Amino acid sequence: MPRPHLGEFEEIVLLTVAVLDEGAYGIAIKDDMEERLERNVSMGAMRTALKRLEDKGYLKSKLGEPTAVRGGKRKRYYTVTHAGREALQQVMDVRKRLWQAIPYTSLDFRFI
Amino acid sequence: MKPHKNIKPPSRPLRFLRWFCDPGLLEDIEGDLLELFQRRSEDDEGKARLQFTRDVLFLFRPGIIRSLTSPFNRPTMLKNYLMVALRSARRYKGHTTLNLLSLVIGIASCLLILLWIQDELQIDKFHAKDERIFKVWRNMHQSSGEIITTQGIPEPFIKSLRNDYPEVEEATLIGWDIDLVFRKGSEVHYETGKYASPEIFSIFSFPFLTGDPDSALDDVSSIVISDRLATKYFGDAWRLHEDLIGQTLTIGSSKKDFNISGVFEHPGSKSSLEFDWIIPAQEYIQQNDWVNSWYNGGFAICFTLREGAELDPLQEKTLQLINENTNYEADERIFLNSFSDNHLHSNFENGRPAGGRIQYIKILFVIAVFILIIACINFMNLATARSSRRTREIGVRKVLGAQKRALRQQFFVESFLMSITAVVVALLLVFVALPYFSFISDKQLSLDLSNPKLWAGLGIVTLVTGTLSGFYPALLLPSFRIISSLKGDVKPPSSGIRLREGLVVFQFALSILLIVGTLVVNQQMNYILNKNLGLDKENMVFIRMSNELAGKMELYKTELLSIPEVKQVTATSGNPLSYGRSSGSAQWAGKDPDEEVEINVMSVDDDFVGTMNIEMLKGRNFDTELATDTSNYLINEVTANIMGFEDPVNHELTLWGLTGKIIGVVKNFHMSSMYEPIAPLIIRNDPSSTFMAFVRTEGDVQQGLKSIEAVTKDLNPGYPFTYEFLDRDFASAYRSEMTLSTIVKIFAIISILITCLGLFGLSSFSAEQRLKEIGIRKVYGASVIRIVTLLSWSYTKLILIALVIALPASVYVMLQWLNNFEFRTDFKVIVFVIAGAITLVIGAVTVGLKFWQAALVNPVQTLRGE
Repeated sequence: MPRPHLGEFEEIVLLTVAVLDEGAYGIAIKDDMEERLERNVSMGAMRTALKRLEDKGYLKSKLGEPTAVRGGKRKRYYTVTHAGREALQQVMDVRKRLWQAIPYTSLDFRFI
Repeated sequence: MKPHKNIKPPSRPLRFLRWFCDPGLLEDIEGDLLELFQRRSEDDEGKARLQFTRDVLFLFRPGIIRSLTSPFNRPTMLKNYLMVALRSARRYKGHTTLNLLSLVIGIASCLLILLWIQDELQIDKFHAKDERIFKVWRNMHQSSGEIITTQGIPEPFIKSLRNDYPEVEEATLIGWDIDLVFRKGSEVHYETGKYASPEIFSIFSFPFLTGDPDSALDDVSSIVISDRLATKYFGDAWRLHEDLIGQTLTIGSSKKDFNISGVFEHPGSKSSLEFDWIIPAQEYIQQNDWVNSWYNGGFAICFTLREGAELDPLQEKTLQLINENTNYEADERIFLNSFSDNHLHSNFENGRPAGGRIQYIKILFVIAVFILIIACINFMNLATARSSRRTREIGVRKVLGAQKRALRQQFFVESFLMSITAVVVALLLVFVALPYFSFISDKQLSLDLSNPKLWAGLGIVTLVTGTLSGFYPALLLPSFRIISSLKGDVKPPSSGIRLREGLVVFQFALSILLIVGTLVVNQQMNYILNKNLGLDKENMVFIRMSNELAGKMELYKTELLSIPEVKQVTATSGNPLSYGRSSGSAQWAGKDPDEEVEINVMSVDDDFVGTMNIEMLKGRNFDTELATDTSNYLINEVTANIMGFEDPVNHELTLWGLTGKIIGVVKNFHMSSMYEPIAPLIIRNDPSSTFMAFVRTEGDVQQGLKSIEAVTKDLNPGYPFTYEFLDRDFASAYRSEMTLSTIVKIFAIISILITCLGLFGLSSFSAEQRLKEIGIRKVYGASVIRIVTLLSWSYTKLILIALVIALPASVYVMLQWLNNFEFRTDFKVIVFVIAGAITLVIGAVTVGLKFWQAALVNPVQTLRGE
């Protein structure tokens, strides 16, 4: 079965969820991404990516306990599924192979 | 963590978010946004609010927006809804039938009325140049301040229109309906047609079957005939091979030959201009030079404006055209008006169009709306009443996790299923009923299925009835509590009952309005037809005489009187009950010569007053023995009042330059419709200008007619014998009123029927609900009668309230209608008593019947389960 395509932004979101492990919910993901990427991440973009990843089966989510901070709204925690992990692995493998295929000189810019 | 300030995010974006967001995602997203907002607002609240709004707007994107939730997205649920709807429809067969029946009848009636209205609105609109066709009217301003409007325009006016006003494209003279004798071989008949200018066929778009409309009437001895006439004189075959152009017809008493130059398709009821032949107006003008004068009006005139030209400047310029050419002897002004508007606005008041058939259209439109409302209310009431049986089902659905939204959808699916079914059945019913309705309404109606308006209309009706009837149960039922709906002890909230009662009152009020309307219209029609008209119209046959026969009047009269069935005979210059020949030239002592008074003038022989049974009020009748009486006059009461003499008898009167004495005053008799007051009249004793014979018969009318025909044919060989009964002819003038009153009657009955169907449904529902109560009452010894009266009272009460509301409203409406008539029946209290009694009795019987049935049930059966 062909694996659903994983977009670049989706990949980052998926990786962030993996990084955050147990505490991956909306704001936490957003904060972490902004910190690492050093750029603003819009709620809309992130949410859409999360939803798409869930639809593709790379993420699963469950609702946590309500907290006072959020006006009594429950957080939705995301975890990476097995398929998600495989997808990440595959992307990394592709990259790795690409890196290895680069002729040594073309990246050895120290000598330019 | 320090305590959070209780700051609220902007509410509008939040509401927007809640509206569009996928419910599965909403809670989390809203929480995230709130958390962010609180964090941000610690620095700068204003900025936080702005960012909040921005975030919400960025969230409005596919993936986050909820999918359009409708049962159609979930075919399984839809299938379930449909199945349950069908099941419950089948389970309560009686209710479903009642419910559908009233809606079907309502929609079908509404459709039929709308077809009728559509047809009325289309009349005269088929001419290609419709927008640019206008008709000329003549407003005769009387000294009394009254304005008499006529379409008879002096013939020179058309020359002026054609020559002096470049904005006029073409103009045509259109004569009155004239009966001429047509001869072809052995066929001899009177045919009705008109004299008109050649332009008539380029201004109006009467379709030609053969011949060239633009040049057909160029030759003075040409004639254009309808397809009806062509078939009558040349047989059906003319359409196939025979070329009719150039064939001749011998026409009129002078037996002149006319060449057929064209055949047009008879426009039928879609045109207010109807004729079977057209002969060039020139032919008529050559023989009647009196029309060629600014002082006489022999023709109606229609014209087309050039494209882009305005009517108003032309109206301004032609306003005084008659006066300018007659030295302002009489104040007669021109009024130009759209041709096709005239059909619906044909009554003139003060020189301007003031209503006409448009009133009927409005009345019927209101009735159509009423009926549809009544039917919709039924549907809604029955649906709500029935749906409370379904509380248990709703409870189960709720327990299994159905949301309110889903339950609502279910009720809407059900009500739409019903309304779609009803519309389809109604459409079939219309197909079946259309020929009958066409017959009743005297029209050729057809249902044009290719008309997108029809489908749009049906769509709207489906939508409205579906929404209306589904709305209340869909809103109310899902809000019941699960426990009580499962236990089955849900009491419908009293607001629902109040609403139902209110709607029933409304329905009955509308029905009562229609019943009162029907009764009053009926009464007025009877009043008109049976009113003492001032002369006796019963057993009176009239015969239009040819010139030849009129020349032998004395002989003809003697022959007629020798027939045993003939009692009296008189000859006149027209039908006295529909008379319109008038003159403004009458003079008498004391009248200002400049004063403008238009008076009808009728020529009769000596026997007129006696034969017609007209009462003499003063003076004497014409005397055959007195030769001088041929220059004397009789007048009616209205003329006597205008003259103002204490006793007009023996005063001198000059008419058309002939001076004679007034020898008597006759009682007023009606000379035109009941919409108008009686006009002044001068009666001349001049048998030589008469052309209509009136024969009073007695005994066997059929036998009498045979003898009359024999005598007439004997004296007038070569002419067909045609006759008319005076009373029938009079009644036919009120044909559109009769048709209207029949239609109103039918739909009033239908509205009452639908209302009662609804009431029957409601009462059977409430009888069912109160079975146990009835049982207990019976156990305690209540009699059946008492139970029926007790239970019926709750509905009878509603009808009484409806009566109180509807009666004043109907008085107002019907007085408005009656005011159109100059002569009208009194508004009788008995009408209300009848209307009230009818509604009350029908309503009470409907309700009582059901309760009676319920009250007869043995209490053992109803209480056994307790």
